Order: sequence, then structure tokens, then C-alpha cells
Amino acid sequence: MPGRMNWPRSFAPRLALAMAAVVLVASVCGAGWGWFRAQSALRQQLDLVLAAEAEGLIRDYETYGLAGLAEATRLYSRRQGPIFLSLSAPDGRLIAGGVPVAPVTLRGFATLPRAGEGSQIRALGALLPGGVNLLVATELAPVDRAAAALAWTPPIAGGAAALLALALGFWLARRLERRLDDVSLAARAVMAGDLTQRLPQSGRGDEFDRLAATVNAMLARIETLVAELRQVTDDIAHDLRSPLSRLRQRLELAAAAARDPAADSATLDAAIDELDGILATFAALLRIARAEAGAGRDAFAELDLSALVEGVVEAYAPVVEDAGRTLAAEVAPGVRLTGSAPLLRQALANLLDNALAHGAGTIRVTLAPDGSLSVADEGPGIPEAERDNVQKRFYRLDRSRGTPGTGLGLALVAAIARLHGGALSLAPGPGGRGLTVRLRARG
Amino acid sequence: MRILLIEDDPATADYLAKGLAEEGHVVDRAATGKDGLFLALNEPFDIIVTDRMLPGPDGVAITRALRASGIATPVLMLTALAEVDRRVEGLEAGADDYLAKPFAFAELRARIRALARRPAPAAAEATELAVGDLRADLLRRAVTRGTRPIELLPTEFRLLEYMMRHPGEVLTRTMLLEKVWDFSFAPTTNIIDVHVSRLRRKLEAGGEPSMIRTVRGAGYVLAPALGAGHG
Repeated sequence: MPGRMNWPRSFAPRLALAMAAVVLVASVCGAGWGWFRAQSALRQQLDLVLAAEAEGLIRDYETYGLAGLAEATRLYSRRQGPIFLSLSAPDGRLIAGGVPVAPVTLRGFATLPRAGEGSQIRALGALLPGGVNLLVATELAPVDRAAAALAWTPPIAGGAAALLALALGFWLARRLERRLDDVSLAARAVMAGDLTQRLPQSGRGDEFDRLAATVNAMLARIETLVAELRQVTDDIAHDLRSPLSRLRQRLELAAAAARDPAADSATLDAAIDELDGILATFAALLRIARAEAGAGRDAFAELDLSALVEGVVEAYAPVVEDAGRTLAAEVAPGVRLTGSAPLLRQALANLLDNALAHGAGTIRVTLAPDGSLSVADEGPGIPEAERDNVQKRFYRLDRSRGTPGTGLGLALVAAIARLHGGALSLAPGPGGRGLTVRLRARG
Repeated sequence: MRILLIEDDPATADYLAKGLAEEGHVVDRAATGKDGLFLALNEPFDIIVTDRMLPGPDGVAITRALRASGIATPVLMLTALAEVDRRVEGLEAGADDYLAKPFAFAELRARIRALARRPAPAAAEATELAVGDLRADLLRRAVTRGTRPIELLPTEFRLLEYMMRHPGEVLTRTMLLEKVWDFSFAPTTNIIDVHVSRLRRKLEAGGEPSMIRTVRGAGYVLAPALGAGHG
């Protein structure tokens, strides 16, 4: 549905949601970890402050004695600083400072609940020479507040990022959806039978355009193949219907006529000949189809093309001679390629059959050292406009309709050339007369 | 001869069995590759004719199994139309000949005869062939009829050698195309008749009686000339 988005099934919003979720989870985890780290760092800092304070007081005690220490404590406590000090005698009596917020016998650091206030304090207790107890303490709440403030920064930024990711995802999804809808529409038109449809391209040359170009090339190929297939089906129907109809008429006439052994056997012989012709057409069609489907490539083997060409030339030489013509061969020695010997032999034989039936004068077979094989004659040639057509199945020039043949010879040669990774080309012979057919195979 | 026919299409099997029986052969039939292989492994046959495509093990697998068991009975493989490229595979599996359907019965008959009279290994390595007063020295590539030497082109010599290895047998045009020229297809141009008539002219150039007989609708036979003494 163009323009409308199906959120849970659309790719981009799902991606955006997933990204937002990842950002969110990461920032929450980051916040927890950050809070923990900040708190422990700040508390360490606090311990250092407490220790420094205690150390100062102890130095006062060593220098000025208990009276000096008590004086310093009183002075400090009067300033109402964030640090609570208390100095107690060995019997627990308060000498100076505030009411102890922790047991006076505390030695070293401790975290303690503050009585009646629900908050915590950090305290450092020390025993001074003479049995005097020094207690240095401070509230933890300000430190924890700072840690929390620090820790909350990432999740706030993360939430903003997640929102942005969602918005971006939504926008991307709309864009993607619109372009995919175009592709969908075109593909549906193709499915409905309109093979001329092509996918739209934005002209930006991005991934979508490249994909559309590839798909369009595929569609063009499919269109050609389907057109060819249609043509072949029509051709087969036409070219096999005529001989089959003739056969049927012949047999029907013979069946209706009075039984006559001589006439019957003549009819049957003629029918078998007609059928053999149809079967030959079928065989040629199947060979073309197999060659075009690439069947037989698994049976490719390294072969000596020079020897193969010489063998076929030798087989045809007397026939050409008997027809009052000349067969001249110029075969480069030792040309090797990987291919199908039976098919290459048939390709050359087909070309020689054609040169004999439709050409005139000397037939020249040339195998160049690069493996290109050509058969040239001095006959009327093929008009330029027809040169592609004669490579198609069943196509015959008007002037050769009377001569025997299936109309499949060159089509098979072309298919064999393509099977070998090569091509078939037709050109006028030397001096503009006749025809040169060149078969290139890259084995 | 006792022939094993392995063919899954009943109509084709009937047609072949009937034709072979009329030729005077005893025909055992199998409709699946499994039955065919069982018969071929357990009973003696002179020739096995098998379809290539079969339910169960196919013709190629049957031939491989036979050869692996040391059974050298000649195998003639029948195949669907236009599978020239598969021919090599069949022959490599150990089949002795390959025939594409549909074929004229005369073609099958000729091939079965040629397989049945396959020269013994010793004859295959012979250096001289003789039919009637015709002699061919395979090493020197020299041919004489009686005392008259005959000059032959390399192709003509190959054609004559193949015919002399199968004296008295009908050799069809397709057989000659396949065995002498390696053509697994029938060219529009009838090249065989031209080659045979040239060979025939050379063999009879001294006014001798004809040795190559044309069998109408089938092919050619090379046999000692009628009335000529056997050498």
C-alpha cells in the first residue's frame, strides 16, 4: 500500500526501534556503572579529607598537648564546618567538640547510619597517646548527591539519542517504503505479463539505482528469452505441422484406396521417409536446445582442433570434388582447445553442407592459429539484412526453400559456438562475393 | 544367438523382441534395470541390448557392474534422441556400441551382427587382413587385390580396414560415419556413398568382380567376389 507504513513489519522502523533500545539500555547500564564509580571516587576523596584533618589535629596534639588540641577542636567546631570533631577522654567524657556521632572507641574508617536522620556518615576514629579518643566525621549525603548528578547525565543524553534515532528511522522508513512501492508496482506489472515494464531509477546512482539497473537487465534478458521461446514455439508448430499434415493425408488416402501391395509399400516407404525428416528436425532442435542450455559442457575435453578440422575436410573432399567444385583447406597445426569434439565436428559439417547446398565455386576452410575457423565460398552470399536471421531456427532464405534441409543448420552452429564461449559471424567472402562464416570458440 | 533386452517401454520392447525373434534370436526381456542386471549377471548371453534410461540402475550403471564383474558380453546401448554428448559416457562405461532412438530396425540388426562377430583380440592385433583375394597390410598401409597393388588415400584405407574387419556383414551408413569418421550425426550431404563408390572403383579398377555390395535401404557389405577363389 503506497504511502502507508506497516510499523511492525517494516524494516527501517524496526531498525530504528532496535537502535533506540540499544542506546537506551547502554546509557542506563552506563549510568549505573558511572554512579558506582563516581560514588567510590568521591568517597575516597572524602576519606583523604578526613585523614588530612585527623593528621592536622594529631600534629597539634604532639606540638601543643591535649590543651592545644582541645582548643583547636573547639575553634573548628565553632565554625560549623561540614566536619564533625569530638575529643573524648579514655573514660568517655567529652573533652571538646560536638557530641560524638559514632562510638568513641572507633579505630580507623567506618560508614555508619546517623542516628534518627536516615542519612549516613563517614567517620575516622583514632586513639591518641594518653588514651584520648579523636573522632573525625562528615555526612555522606552531599557526596552521594554529586555522584547521582554525574551518573544521570548519560541516560538523559541516551534518551535524547534514542528519540532522535526513532525519528530518523521513521523518516528513512517512509523514504524506503516509497521507493520499494515503486519497485513492487513495476514487479507486479511484470508478473501480470507486461514484460516491457522496468523498475524506476531515481538517478542518484545509489544502491537502489544499482539494484534497479541489475533487475532491469535481468528483465530485458527475460523479455528476449520469452520472445525467442514464443518464436521457437510458433516455428516448431509451423514447421512440424506441415510435414505431419502431409503424412496424415498420405496415410488417409492410402487407407481409403483399395489394397494394393505395391502401392501400399510405396506409401509406407514414403511415410517412413517423411517421419525420418521430422525426426531429424526434432533431433536438431533438441541438440540446439541442449547446446543453448549449456548441456554437454561437463563432457568437454581437451582436443586437437587442427586434427578434427582435417578429418572433416577429408570426409567432405571427394563429395565436393564430385560436385565439380574445389575444397581448399588451410589448417594451422597444433591448435588445441577444450570443447566437445562431436559438436565441433557437426558444426563444421553443417557449414560445409551449407556451402555445398547453397554456395558456389571453391570452398575454403581456414583454421587460424588463434582457433577461429572459417568456411568461405564464392556463391551468392547472404544479404546483410538477413545475416542475423539465418542464425535463427527454421529461418530459410526464399531462394533456398526448395533445397532439402531443416533450416536449423546455422542455428545449431551458432548454439555450438556460444556453448564454447564464442560466436558465429557472417560476412561477404573475399572480394565482396560469396559468404564467409567464421566460428570462434574459446574452449 | 541369445540376446538380453533391457527396455522399460513395453511398446518398444515388443517391437524389438519381435524383430529379433524373427531374425532367429532367443530374446530374454527385462523391464527394469534391477531385473536386467540380475539376468545379465547370472545367465550367459551373446549380446545385451539395454536402454540407457531405466528404472533402477540405468544402462550405464548396468554396463559398469557387468564389466566390474568381469563379464565381457557385448553391450549395445539404446538412447534417447540427440544425446550425442552422452555417447562418450556410455562407451567409457564399457558399452560396445551406442544407438540413438528412434532407429530403423535394419540399423539395430546390422549393429548386433557386427557386435556378435567382433574380432577376437588376436584378430584385432593382426597386422594383415584378407577378404577373398583382397589383402591389406596394416603396418605398411598397402593393399593388394590378387597381385595388383591398389593406391588408397588415408580415409579410403580406414574405410576399407573397417569393412575388412567385418566381412560379410551389412554396415550401415551411420555405422560407417561413426566408426570411420567419428561423426555422431547424419550430415545433410551423403558423404558415405561417395567414399564407398570411390573405394569400389579402386577395388575393381583391374576389371575384377565387385566385392562391395549395396544393400538397399540398409548399407554396404564387403564380401569375397562371387566366383572368386578364397585366398
